[in-house]
Formats: sequence, structure tokens, C-alpha cells
Amino acid sequence: MHEYAFFLGCIAPNRYPGAESASYKTSEKLGIKLLDLEGGSCCPAPGAFGSIDLNIWYAMAARNLVLAEQMKKDIALICNGCYKSIWEVNHKLKKHKELREGVNEVLKGVDMEFKGTIDVWHLAELFYDPKICGLQKIRDSVTVPLEGTRIAVHYGCHLMKPKKERHFGSTEHPYWIEEMVAALGAEPVEYRNKMLCCGAGGGVRGYDLVHSIDITNEKMINLKEVKADALTEVCPFCQLQFDRGQIEIEEKFGVKYGLPVLHYCELLGLAQGMSPQELALDLHAVSCEPFLEKVL
Amino acid sequence: MAEKKTKKETAPKKKETAKAAAPAKAAAPAVKAPEKEKKESRVGVFICHCGTNIAGSVDITDVQEYAKTLPNVAFADNYQYMCSTPGQSKIIDAIKEHNLTGIVVAACSPRLHEPTFRTATKEGGLNPFRFEMANIREQGSWVHMHDREGATEKAKDAIRIAVAKASLLQDLIPKSVPVEHAAMVVGAGIAGMQAALDLANAGIKTYLIEKNPTIGGRMSQLDKTFPTLDCSQCILTPKMVDVGRNPNIELMTCAEVENVEGYIGNFDVTIRKKARGVLSMAEAEEKGIVGGGCNGCGDCEVVCPVIKPNPFEMGMKPRKAIYIYHPQVVPLIYHIDWDSCIKCNLCVEACADKKAIDLEMQDELVKVKVGTAILATGYDIFPVEKKDEWGYKKYENVVTSLEFERLICASGPTGGHLVRPSDGATPKKVAFLLCAGSRDSTGIGHPYCSRFCCMYSLKHAHQIIEKIPGAQPYLFYMDIRSFGKMYEEFYYRIQDEGAKFMRGRVSNVLEDPVTKNLIINAEDTLLNRPISLEVDMVVLAAAVEPAAETDKTRKLFGVSRSMDGWLLEAHPKLNPCGTTTAGVFLAGVCQGPKDIPDTVASAEGAASAASIPIHMGEVELEPYFAQCIEEKCAGCGMCVNLCPYGALALVEKDGRKVMEVTEAKCKGCGTCGGFCPGGAIWMQHFATPQIIAQIDAFLLGGAK
Amino acid sequence: MQRTKGYPEALDKKLADTRLFEDERHPDFTKTVEEISMTIPHMCYQCGTCTASCPSAPRSSYRIRKFVRRALLGLEDESLTDPDLWLCTTCYSCTDRCPRDIAPTDVIMAMRNLAARRDIIPVNFLKTVQAIYTTGHGVPNNDVNRAARKKLGLNPEPPTTHGFPQYVKGIQYILDYFGLKDRADRIVKEREG
Repeated sequence: MHEYAFFLGCIAPNRYPGAESASYKTSEKLGIKLLDLEGGSCCPAPGAFGSIDLNIWYAMAARNLVLAEQMKKDIALICNGCYKSIWEVNHKLKKHKELREGVNEVLKGVDMEFKGTIDVWHLAELFYDPKICGLQKIRDSVTVPLEGTRIAVHYGCHLMKPKKERHFGSTEHPYWIEEMVAALGAEPVEYRNKMLCCGAGGGVRGYDLVHSIDITNEKMINLKEVKADALTEVCPFCQLQFDRGQIEIEEKFGVKYGLPVLHYCELLGLAQGMSPQELALDLHAVSCEPFLEKVL
Repeated sequence: MAEKKTKKETAPKKKETAKAAAPAKAAAPAVKAPEKEKKESRVGVFICHCGTNIAGSVDITDVQEYAKTLPNVAFADNYQYMCSTPGQSKIIDAIKEHNLTGIVVAACSPRLHEPTFRTATKEGGLNPFRFEMANIREQGSWVHMHDREGATEKAKDAIRIAVAKASLLQDLIPKSVPVEHAAMVVGAGIAGMQAALDLANAGIKTYLIEKNPTIGGRMSQLDKTFPTLDCSQCILTPKMVDVGRNPNIELMTCAEVENVEGYIGNFDVTIRKKARGVLSMAEAEEKGIVGGGCNGCGDCEVVCPVIKPNPFEMGMKPRKAIYIYHPQVVPLIYHIDWDSCIKCNLCVEACADKKAIDLEMQDELVKVKVGTAILATGYDIFPVEKKDEWGYKKYENVVTSLEFERLICASGPTGGHLVRPSDGATPKKVAFLLCAGSRDSTGIGHPYCSRFCCMYSLKHAHQIIEKIPGAQPYLFYMDIRSFGKMYEEFYYRIQDEGAKFMRGRVSNVLEDPVTKNLIINAEDTLLNRPISLEVDMVVLAAAVEPAAETDKTRKLFGVSRSMDGWLLEAHPKLNPCGTTTAGVFLAGVCQGPKDIPDTVASAEGAASAASIPIHMGEVELEPYFAQCIEEKCAGCGMCVNLCPYGALALVEKDGRKVMEVTEAKCKGCGTCGGFCPGGAIWMQHFATPQIIAQIDAFLLGGAK
Repeated sequence: MQRTKGYPEALDKKLADTRLFEDERHPDFTKTVEEISMTIPHMCYQCGTCTASCPSAPRSSYRIRKFVRRALLGLEDESLTDPDLWLCTTCYSCTDRCPRDIAPTDVIMAMRNLAARRDIIPVNFLKTVQAIYTTGHGVPNNDVNRAARKKLGLNPEPPTTHGFPQYVKGIQYILDYFGLKDRADRIVKEREG
């Protein structure tokens, strides 16, 4: 069993608890144990904090990292925004001595010190990594194959970009999450401009909602073109943008899509036999019913 | 310290013995002289201002006063430009007036003016090798431009070190070697062909080596050429025929350079002639097959059951396992692709009495001797799929410019009808993406400008307007670089014909999954607006890069490459065809991207440069050879194996074994001299006492 | 330098940005942006790849190429007061594709930092700060969610600062260290009363 400190962030536990719950249960079946990271906070939001003062962003993220360092566990997380804060700050502080010293000067006041002793992983990459889990293990864990469903993937930006600083390969035509979708028995579908942003990041959702959901709407148009049954992602903030965003698009632009949006962990949960109730799919703004009917 | 100084004093004595020993070798007439002159070294120091290049950050007067205090310095002077005629006269006059034995010029890099000052030294009546240069510009004033004090001190150090060496320099006599009356050209594209023709027409036997089965290179794949729009094949094939018929050219296709030994005037080159599986008529005759050999009839091709893509057509046309690239190949001999041949023997039967086909043919190694060599190894297309935002090899209707050339060419796979690979339809809206992988600092593409893509893209635009009624070309560009003769006028013409120039680099290309049309995303930076343009076809003006085998070939010839991977010329402006290896020259794109006129000019330049030593009949070698001090040589022979040039051997002399140097082979690298456990090897011009004196001068100071 | 032409104020204002004046340039601005962003906007050759990659560009007047240009020229005021500065979704597509290996996204982040120093910052950013100061979360828990968590067999409060509020103190210390909470409170109050 590989053990990780599970960094929750905000949106999964506070808006999509089904994704949190599914993460514990599905990963346990795949040989990954997620341990509580006691006292974790907002990562903090890279758009908001990074925009105000990068130094505050570094310090706040470092606090979360130190909590895991104290547990002596690598961090696993399920949100791209968290990945940007936690992974990138960890990476930067390890690399730049001056930044690290600056941050530790702040952390001294709370009896903490960033040492750079752990690594940070997205749960999705752990699932995909054959050394930890791998596609075969995912396939083997499936009890309710999602056969007959067409599922589109939204990768999100902050997991894989900028390409040069990350380790996920192509950011133009990636296919690894599609492979993970196929492992659940579903048919992954590609669509136009797959790598387009969801529109939520950088504080734009809060700054200019109409602008933000207009980007989301472009994605929805492209998704409608290929008639996907559901959209999956690995970021609760993207999930929120697509899920609640569809309601907002309906309000502002008068277009209704009704495309269910599920976090990959929720999808995996379904395929591993968890019920919609166990996944709190009823909390989703867009009903998952049409999709569930095809699956169950 | 004191101890070291003693050593320093004793050092010259040691050398005297060394010197006394060396003359026994007789080969080096220089060696005796220094013994006499030793005691009375009189060095003249000349400091160059180089305008303000040096004087701007070095205190010349201070340096000159300092130079006067150095041991053995008999005279010191300075001048605005030492390399000018009056500057050189100063050296010539001072040698006579002050009875000098050594000259130091403190100026620029010896790469620039060492020959100048050596000549002046010689004209003053001294042996030219009694000159030593102190580089106080490139390694002094230029790098310490804002530190006058530091630059001045460093100049003093450099001069002190140079004076220490100049005090110990000896007379050396350069050695002349005969030059083989033959040359080699590697690569038979337009550059190699032109160079070979020039050499051959100048009466020089020329070996033209080509790895492909035909000559012609990239130019034979092109349809039309800018800005004149003449057909590439039409202007190229006469030259190909000339090459094939010229009695002074020995053409070897399917051939690669395997090994190179020797030096200017006497290169021994081993060539691997790959088994092409087919005999030429001449080869057949040699084997006694009367009237046999390949006549290019193509009967073999008809019966061959194997079908593969033709690389000449960028894989867009089929060919057999036995095939020729195209009908105009030179030489017109079929060849076998061994990777796909199934040895069914059908071709052998079809060839019948001509008996041209030998399915068991083996590679052959041929040795030739040449005086000089020209590398003309050309270029490949950058694998533009690495820039995955443009979707090459992912979207069918995204092609490279070279593929476009074949598609628009009357002799190409579609007979000159431009079609979309996805459905064979004629494209109406075509986008040309310039700088596809050029001017790219990301580490994926190439940072340089590929130089001819702007112009051929203009030509492509013209061609679709001409051939397809209602066609609309869009050129996405950052800058249109139309710098050649009649090039800007061509740009004007194509714009007038209706090509749309969009000033913006394409960020990414998307594909409509149903129509396979492509959506171009760019910014019209002049309108300051994002563009999303749907087109039928995308042509990537992919960057060029050195041909794959370039690195192997250049290493064999001892040629360096520059940071960008292209082969390194001796001087980027004043010696663009030469290399730092004497007798080896560069032609065409292997030195850097060039269009056809520049390539031909470069080839003619290289041919001219390569013919000079051959016509002179002999070349002078710098006399920096190793010399064996036979008294000290224990005959252990360890140096023999160390020598990278095979210049050393053990010989029997006076009843014992001693090492002997073949001077023409020795490059003076010092490997043997540095290693010899008995100190029995004297490196002329870089002798141990000279180098020790330089180190001492640097570490221990040197004021009188 | 004569900036107004003596027209009525409205016309003068309209003509104000029709020329680039040398004294608008602050070379220090270029340097500061490069220090914060750890990237090289001064190397931009204005190809437009960034704008073409930008999800915000087609639906607004936001042109990231223009901001990189302003960084290069040192046009500090123009950069920091442009409301478009806040339309970057930080998707990093421009950074992935920039042929000059500049990270335009990080240029924007650096400019936002510098704008924030002048109190130019949208309120929604500050409200996130206020939420985190109180609860540790930018998107805090609520009753509907608590009920749902319970049904799932999860603790109604996640094991974060929600479940362990004693950790909030550390967060408050860090934010106070930078004086951010007070600034946020002040600015929000100024804007919204």
C-alpha cells in the first residue's frame, strides 16, 4: 500500500464531497492509502494569491507542505489548482535558495521550516503510473464497466502547463487520461480544441463571470459537436466551472447543454460499483441521470 | 620561490643540451642556432592601440614603460594600428636598428594578424618564428572594457609572458610537402556538383561521393525556383549530365566516406561503396559480361512484387524494392533497397542476358588519395511534428513545404495537381506557416533563420494562384526576408497577384473532425486581433537542419561545428569556405542555410580555394613538429601508440631503437611530448623550457 | 513635453495616447517585472503567438502581446491601470507556445503583483483573502454540504482547518506578517462601503 498525505483543498471537500469520498475509496482498491493531512488549508488559490503577491502565495503553500513534511509523507491531491500551488511552490522552493530563505523567515513565526523533503503528486498521475498503480490495475478494479458511454476529457491547465516545468509530455494532444477513461470500459471521445481552458482560473471567474463562462460556453459548443455523454476532469474547480457554469450559461446566454460533469474519481467510483448516492452526485448542478441511466 | 628561480636559471642550460642533441636528427635544421643566440636575447615589444579598441581601456604608455623593465627587452614602442604598413615598418626598422632577436606584438588575436607580423619579422631579417603575439584585445580590452586598471594590468601580464617565450624562440624552417593532384567532394547536391565541375574543369581529378543512388540532392526535388520561376529540374539536369560525363569526375553514388587519414596535400580516404545490387555497364564489362550491365530499361522494376513508399517523393508515391528515384537519375542505374528486397529472383530473371543484378553483392571499400576535400553534405528538414501545436503527422492536410514541392510538381505523385492528402480534393484556401521551427528559442526548434523559406513560400503562393482558379493563399509570417537580387520585387509581384500576408505567427492548428479542414489560430498583429481562419490545407515552411550524417563525416575530416550544428567555417566573413583543418573546405548549406544562388556561389568559392594548393603543387606545413632527442630516448615506444595521427615510429639507429617523427603527419598536438617519461621529445615552438618560462613569467613576475 | 493641444478636455483626453512619449518609459519597470516573473519579456519579437493562444483574447480587448510589449518598453502606468490585466485565466497556453521562450503568463502575474502594491486589485481577489483569514478556506464549507458529507459517512467538517480550527492561527499569522488582511479590509471597505 502506497501512503500519501491527502491534500484536500477547498472545492472538493466543500462543494463536491462525493469526489473526496470517492478518492479515498477508489484509491484504496488500487493500493493507494490517502491519509488525513490535519490542518491543511486553501492551497492557496494560485490565481488570487499569486496575483496579489507571489511571496504570500509561496508562504501559504509552504505551510501546507510543511504539514506533510512533518508527517513524512508525499502529498497526493485531486485538484489542478492545488497542484499548481503545492507542486509548483514545492518545486520552486527546493530550487531557489533565496525564495526558500524568505519563506522560512515568515514560517519561523509559526514554528515551521520548509525543508524540501517531500514530493507532490496528482492522484491521477499516481493512478496512471504503472509503478504505483497503472492502467491494468484500474481495469482489474472495474466491476461496473461504463460500456456504451462516450466520455470527453478536460485536462485542465495547471496540472500540465507550462510544459517545460512539468513532466506530462504533450500539452497539445495528450491522451493519457483518455486511456484511463478507456480502462473503465467507456469510449473516450476527442473534441475540438480539447486543451482550451475552462475559463475559471486566474481570478477571472470572480472578476468577470460573463467573460469566464463565455470561455466555458465555447468548450460546451465543441463538446456538443461530438455528442459526449459526460465530461470528466481531474480538477474540482474545472468541475465547478463546467457544472455550475452550465446553469450560469443558461441564465446569461439562454443555452442549455445538460452535460454531466464528473471528476475522474467519481467516474472511477461508479465503475468500481459505488452508487450515485455514495458519490453525492445529487449535489451536482447538472443532473447526472441521463448518464447514469446508460451506465447502471 | 628562491628554489623555483634557481630552477628557472638552470632550465636554459638543460635546453642547450636538448638542442645540442636534436641536430643529430638533421631533419630540423633549426635546432642548432639558439645555442649561440641564447645569451643575447634582444626582444622588441610593440603595443597596438587598435584605434580605441585597445587604447580605450588599456593605458598604452603605462604598459610600454612596464615592457621596458622586462628581462631581455631591448626596445618598446607603440602605434595606432600595428597591422598598417607604417606599423609593420616599425618592426622591420627596429629589428635592424636594435639588433633584435625576438618580436612581441601586443594586439589582437593571433588568428587575425599572426601571419601579418610574421611577414614583417621576416622582412626585418629575422626568422618569422621568432615572433610571438600577446592578445590584449579579445582577451583583454574587449572583455574588461569597463575596468581600465584591470585591463592594463592584464595586458602587462600578457606581454611579460610573451616576452618570456620570445626570449627563447628558435629559428624554424617550414616544411613543404607535395600535393596530390586530385580532390574529393562529399555530397552531390547542387553544391557538390558545382564544386566538382569547377575542380574537374580546372583539370583536377575529382572524386564525387554521394550517399544516395543518384546525384542532384534537394534541388532535384523542387518544382520551380524563385524568383525566376524556372523549373528546377530543367536547370539542374544539364549539370547532372555534365557531372556524369566529365572525364575528370569519378562519381561514386551509394557511397560514404569511411575513413580519412593524412593531411593537406595527402589525404588517404577510404570510401564504402554500398552494394547497390546492380552492376553498371562498366562494372559488367570488367566482370567479362559482354554487353551487360544496367541500361536503365526498368524491366526489373515491372516484375518486382514489393511495394514501398519512394523517399524521393517524400513517401507519397510507390516504388519497388528495386527502383530509381525518378527518370532523370544520374547515373541511370537501378538499385536495390535491401531492407525490403525478398530475394525472389524475379528481377534477375527479367534482366536476363544483361546480368546486371547481383542479389549477393557486398559493400566494397575503395581507397583514394586526394590533395584537398570539400564537404557539401547539405541539409534535412527539421522534424516539424516536434512542434505538436501545428498537428503535422496528426492532421492529414498539414504538409511540409518539401511535400508541397512534390505535390505541385508535374513529375510528382499527382502529376502536378495539388490535392489534399485526406480526400484528394483540390484545396482552395491554403495557409503557409513561415518560421515553422526556425527562429525558435524553446529548445525544440532551431534559433536561426532558415533563410530561404520566405521566398519559396512566396513561390508556393504564386503557384497555387496560377494553377488553381479562385485559390487563396495566406502567408502567416513574422518578417518577410526577401534580401536577394530581384527578391523584393518578387514579393511585390506575389502580393499583387493576390496572396494575403498575415503578420502573425500561428499559435496552433485545429482540425475539423468531419471535413478535415484546418482551423488556423493566429493574431493579426497589425490589426491587433486574434484570427481563426478555416483553410483546406496547411503548408509548414519547416526549418532546415544539418543532414543526419553530417556529424559523422565532419569528424572524419576533423571539421568543427558551430553552436547551431552547421559546420564551422575558418572565418565567418573572410574565409567562409575554409575550415580550421588545412585542405578541407565547405560548400553550400552544410555551412549554414543558403538558397540556390548562394549555394552555387559558395560551391564555386570552395572549389577555387580547394584548387589553389593543388595548382601550387606543394604546401608549407607549420613547423610545429615533435622532435626526438635521441640521447634521451629510451626507445620504450609508448609515445607511438599515443599519437592520434600515427606520426611516430620506432626505428633502429646506431644499434638501438629510437623514436622517429614523420613530420608531415605530425600536427604538433603535444600528446607525445607531454607524456614522454624521459623528456626526450622536443615540441618545436611549444618546447617545455619555453612553456615553463611563460608559466614562471606569469607566476613569479618578471621585472628586471 | 507638450501633451495637450489646448483642445477641449474631452478631445485632449482622447488624443492623449496617440503617441508614445519617452518619459512614459520606466526602465526599472522592465527590470522589476523580470525579477518577479523570472522570465524575459525584453526578448519579445511580437509574433502574436501568445494572443492567438489566449482564451480571453477573442472575447475581450485583452491582448497579452500588448502587455509583454509594455513590459519591454517599461510602460508602467499603462500596464497597471489597464483593467484587461485581470482577464488572464493563467492557462499558460501562451507560455507553452512562445517561440522566444518567454512566460507571458508570469509577466501578467508580476504586473498584477505590482498593481496590487498600488492597491489596484479587484475586490473578488481580496474577498478570497478575507475568507481564508477567517476559515483557512477560499471556498468554505456550508450547511448543505455538511449534510451531504454526513450522508456520505464523512465528518461534516473535513480534516482541514475546518476540522482543526486551531491551525487557522498560523494562517492568520502569515497573512498579518504581510499586512494583507488589513489592506484587504481597508480596500474592500473603500470600494463597497
